[in-house]
Amino acid sequence: MSGYATPGFTDKLTAPRVVVVGLASCFGCQLQITNGEEHLLDVLGQIDLSYWQLASSDPMPDEFDVAIVEGAVTTEESEATVRALRERADVLIAIGACATTAGIPGMAADHFLERPSHVYDRVPTACGDMIAPRSVGSVVDVDYEVRSCPVDTVDFIDVLQRVLYGSNKTVSMRTMCGDCKRNETACFFGKGRLCLGLVTTAGCGAKCVKLGRPCNGCRGLSPDANLPSAREACERYGVPVADFDQALEMFNRTDFALAAEQ
Amino acid sequence: MTKTAIHIDHIARIEGHGNVHVVIEDGVVQTVEMNVVEPARLFESMVLGRRFEEIPYIASRICGICSASHVVTDLKAIERIFGIRTTDRTKALRELLVYGSYLQNHASHLFVFATPDFVGTKSVFLLAETNPELLQKALGLKALGNELCTKVGGRSIHPITAVVGGFTHEISAEEYRELADKLEASVEFAVETVDLFRSFPVPDIATEGDMLAMVEEGCYPVQGSDTARFLKAGIEFCADEVQERVEEYAVPHSAALCARVRETGAPYFVGALARINASWSHLSRNAKVAAAKAGLRPPEPNPFMNNVAQAIELVDALERCAELCRRLAEPDGFDGESKPVSFEARAGRAVGFTEAPRGAVFHDLELDERGRVVHASMITPTAQNVANLEADMRLLAERLVADGSGQDEVRRSIEKLVRAYDPCLSCSVH
Repeated sequence: MSGYATPGFTDKLTAPRVVVVGLASCFGCQLQITNGEEHLLDVLGQIDLSYWQLASSDPMPDEFDVAIVEGAVTTEESEATVRALRERADVLIAIGACATTAGIPGMAADHFLERPSHVYDRVPTACGDMIAPRSVGSVVDVDYEVRSCPVDTVDFIDVLQRVLYGSNKTVSMRTMCGDCKRNETACFFGKGRLCLGLVTTAGCGAKCVKLGRPCNGCRGLSPDANLPSAREACERYGVPVADFDQALEMFNRTDFALAAEQ
Repeated sequence: MTKTAIHIDHIARIEGHGNVHVVIEDGVVQTVEMNVVEPARLFESMVLGRRFEEIPYIASRICGICSASHVVTDLKAIERIFGIRTTDRTKALRELLVYGSYLQNHASHLFVFATPDFVGTKSVFLLAETNPELLQKALGLKALGNELCTKVGGRSIHPITAVVGGFTHEISAEEYRELADKLEASVEFAVETVDLFRSFPVPDIATEGDMLAMVEEGCYPVQGSDTARFLKAGIEFCADEVQERVEEYAVPHSAALCARVRETGAPYFVGALARINASWSHLSRNAKVAAAKAGLRPPEPNPFMNNVAQAIELVDALERCAELCRRLAEPDGFDGESKPVSFEARAGRAVGFTEAPRGAVFHDLELDERGRVVHASMITPTAQNVANLEADMRLLAERLVADGSGQDEVRRSIEKLVRAYDPCLSCSVH
């Protein structure tokens, strides 16, 4: 993230032209955009949705202002796509865990070259030139992020509004644990169960924990996370540290903070 | 010699990335290829060595819209390995979750993806201008599917609450009753949807491939059974035998593995049309009436009728879910609680099987004694459909060329056929 607010588009005479592009992903975050039914048409009224392959057969235009990217970069072709988008767009928004942390596809980053043969006897040429999965932000500068797997629809609309109006609202990077205190939900560690809330970036309101399921870390490792202290907490509560480390890989396999430790 | 090459790069209004190549020489259709270029994420490799609890959560990310089905499929495989018997209440909730994704998928596919083909617009946004009332109702139906998944699973896709042995959270009886009211109120529009899609003219072709669907005595099953049937070959098998019954194979132009019936070598179709052909007589009352009125009776071999079949399933899903919600609202509606039952991990191998919105999905899992994955193979609906779709595209192109249709007509009709299959290319390459 650049850390600076980009000027908004509201001073322009024409609506900003927006393109939506999907890379390696489940398409779930694009679906979450369409799930904004009651708000969606209000938001779309403020932009010129120039290209959205999921919803329209119009081709990708040559010029646009905002690029919304879903998915991880897993081929040389998609890496080139991301660079081309960065070059043309004033603002680039990465949405979802795949685009922001390499997410679930990132799990395959370790020993990547050995993996295709687990699935294919002979890798089809249609697979393209595969490269180890990486986030969009590790290839080009990203201006705004919408985290989570999948993104929350309202969260997405909030970020899009900030892009359109040039808001300089800062993004909180604190960890999730505080949210559970506020929600008054019991801690899983007290029951000897692993939860990644103690190192994961907050912002979802601890949605999963509220529904009785430990955090899987889909918003990515918080810059405030204290990994050595978290491992100590695991030991204190009888949770195997190896389980904690393996669970972290699910959404942070390519995180350099983790890689630096190894 | 005249040679016509039709390339459709990046077919729009489907889930995922795919191109079509058709080559016609001197009036003879030579090449027909469905070029699936979705990036391979290698799920079968990434789950190796991971703990069983994580598998449904990870595999759910194969596909957003089919996420509930991938979760339930893995839960079934894991529970079969561990010998877990879930309660009737848990089974009812899983059924709601799967049906919720039917409402989401079918409403999105029919109205956002397919309708523009028939009303001659490029996107759904133009439909918003030409027929806003229809779009409003269609989005309402999709929103109801989202609400059902959110109430049962915790969010509209990638459910949170469904875990090995049961559910971590449930809504109140009052919320179930409210849902039932909303579901019942939507049946009328779903019936109109069947009429609408029946009124769209489609080419009259008959697939030469087989069809596969889940079957169960006296029931229209979506997740409750472990038995699959090839309708044409008349072969019925337990999901655990899927590797012996289905042959997966790779072709250079598709990142998705293709599939055919091992015994007959025939490609086959999975999805709403296959289900209706298999279990027509067990559709809900209004769904059956709507199907009869639309003239859809088994055996229906025209793949274009998959759109109508999906509309009929909307009626069926709404009625069935309303009934489930009413029963869930009663204190003694179902035996047992949905709270996860206790269990112990053990080694073994089993195949989970459900009917996702786009068709049958199989997850073959082998776990070690600590419940970690030793081997995984996942066969998704669209991977099974690619070979049959190619065969049908060839059939259609040959028909159109013989009738003297021009290149544009061939292109438009093929795109329409691809969309009638409702392919999920992100599922197909996983």
